Amino acid sequence: MKLLIVEDDRSLSRSINDYLKMEGHVCEVALTFHEAINKASDNKYDCIIVDIGLPDGNGLDLIRELKSNKSTGGILILSAKSSLDDKLTGLKIGADDYLTKPFHFAELSARINSICRRNKFLGLNEITFNEIRINTDDNQVYVNDKLLTLTKKEYDLLLFFMANRNRIITKESIVEHLWGDDVILTDSFDFVYTHVKNLRKKIMVSEGRNYIKCIYGFGYKFIDS
Amino acid sequence: MKLLTKSTYYFLLLSILAMIAGGVFLYLTIKRVIYEQIDNSLITEKTIIQDQIEQTDTIPDFEASFGHQIEVKLLNYPLRKYQFIKDTDIYDSKSDSFNPFRYIFYSGNSVEMKGYIITIFQALSEKDELLQDLAIYMFFLFFSLLLISILINYLIARKLWRPFYISVNRASRFDIQSGKPLDLPETDIKEFGQLNEVFDNMTRKMRNDYLNLKEFNENAAHEIQTPLAVIRSKTDLLMQQKNLNKDSISLIKSINEATTRLFKLNHGLLMIYKIENQIFHEKKIISLKHITEISLDNYKEIMLLKKINVEMEAMDEALVEMNSVLAEVLISNLLSNAVRFNVDGGFIKCHFDDRYLIFTNSGLPLNIDPEILFRRFHKGSDNPQSAGLGLSIVKKIADTYGMMVTYTYLDNIHEIKLQYRH
Repeated sequence: MKLLIVEDDRSLSRSINDYLKMEGHVCEVALTFHEAINKASDNKYDCIIVDIGLPDGNGLDLIRELKSNKSTGGILILSAKSSLDDKLTGLKIGADDYLTKPFHFAELSARINSICRRNKFLGLNEITFNEIRINTDDNQVYVNDKLLTLTKKEYDLLLFFMANRNRIITKESIVEHLWGDDVILTDSFDFVYTHVKNLRKKIMVSEGRNYIKCIYGFGYKFIDS
Repeated sequence: MKLLTKSTYYFLLLSILAMIAGGVFLYLTIKRVIYEQIDNSLITEKTIIQDQIEQTDTIPDFEASFGHQIEVKLLNYPLRKYQFIKDTDIYDSKSDSFNPFRYIFYSGNSVEMKGYIITIFQALSEKDELLQDLAIYMFFLFFSLLLISILINYLIARKLWRPFYISVNRASRFDIQSGKPLDLPETDIKEFGQLNEVFDNMTRKMRNDYLNLKEFNENAAHEIQTPLAVIRSKTDLLMQQKNLNKDSISLIKSINEATTRLFKLNHGLLMIYKIENQIFHEKKIISLKHITEISLDNYKEIMLLKKINVEMEAMDEALVEMNSVLAEVLISNLLSNAVRFNVDGGFIKCHFDDRYLIFTNSGLPLNIDPEILFRRFHKGSDNPQSAGLGLSIVKKIADTYGMMVTYTYLDNIHEIKLQYRH
């Protein structure tokens, strides 16, 4: 997937670039409003990640500009302010999602995947990984074509793993993904563990393989070994 | 003690002292005047009798004079000339009592050197009665004077201090968050004018400081987000590297934990600022019961895991007019606490009636004062993952909508009571 990262903080934009490249995306970085406009007019991106606070302009204006140029790519807003107004405005003028800093890369990756899925495969919302097939339209999961009954959280977790295949996902990012960051759950790591365990069990009962590896000290990795 | 009461009290005390002293002095003076008068009349009478004896050697007819009792004795031998005036009591057989008298004793010699003694008595009972009457009148006079002056003093003081009380009252209702000025009353008393000026300057300075501090905090909280994002992104990248050794893993893990904590803290603070700044101003009618049901669903698996039994006791939909985001944050924070601090096999009871929303849950004993639970950064547990902001966010939201939130703890049962309607 071809992505444009519009973020004025060099260090952060480089990290995002590095991570998304590891994910197999083709990335370009724009540090300013104008650079972003230039790059977006020359190229076609599948998704543009826009920081709201840019030195020479507002990210929201950039989105308006992109939309008026009939850009078809998805737009994900990054913002230091978890401001509801910004979020609502952003979504109203055509952004697909909104992510507040600081974020986990796993989360960013999941959001980008979800945006691209929505934009690209219209009507074909299916993720397949070996024997696992997920239909994101009706939220059904099949293993070896057998329907798997998952709870909402287990389903979200599987989708999260799918979006971050072969990457280490921290327990913190899973907690934030599943419960949102307004909620402060302390012993939630045990719950993550239990959810992961249950999910793994359910897949294996349907004769799926065990893809979820526990990574000591960090969290988990969904890997085809 | 109120200033008015205190000043009246002192006034009363000092006036009574002054009046007692004045009264005693007046009484003694009057008494002395009366005695002088008596003594003068005794001496005058004595002189008349003495003159007559010394000139004519006859005892005058003293029946008519002054109403004194006079005794004169003529002797055949000479006496030393001697005079004194004294008080005495004389027995009165009619009333079987002693009556006070004042008398003059005079001994002298006539022309023929024959001694004589004059004793003149003046009954004091009438004078004493007069004195007594005077004392009573005086007492009433003083007493009414006292009452009148207290009243006047009180009225004047009340009038004088009125601007002061108004100022104090307005100052005590000063709300640093509302941008309203103090609006102190005009006064022609210089000192109160100064006081008002001081109040005015102080509150203006306080508000400026407060706004500066708030702005600083908000900016700081927002500015921290990007560096935090950088740290988090770098650790995320670091983690993905192959062949990390155990030490590096443990280092990255610590950095990751600390970053998460900092993030939670910052997130909570930003939430509080946003509530304070009324960012969430849009209101609509919301059912707290409905929100609770949705929120409970979010914790469904966790509660299943901890074997927490949930009991709903809904007598009311608990409809309130508030911001939907804040309502969710409010309920979610309360429930998250109820789940977090619960014990395995415990329970959560959600009760709704027409005024209250009560969440009761089993849990571990509380080792701190429930009063300070609502303060920022106060933690009920030593868990580093908790920022200690949850309940102060709850309080902030409750305050915003004039709701009362109270916490009680008894025998491992925790109860949060939210009065959402008056």
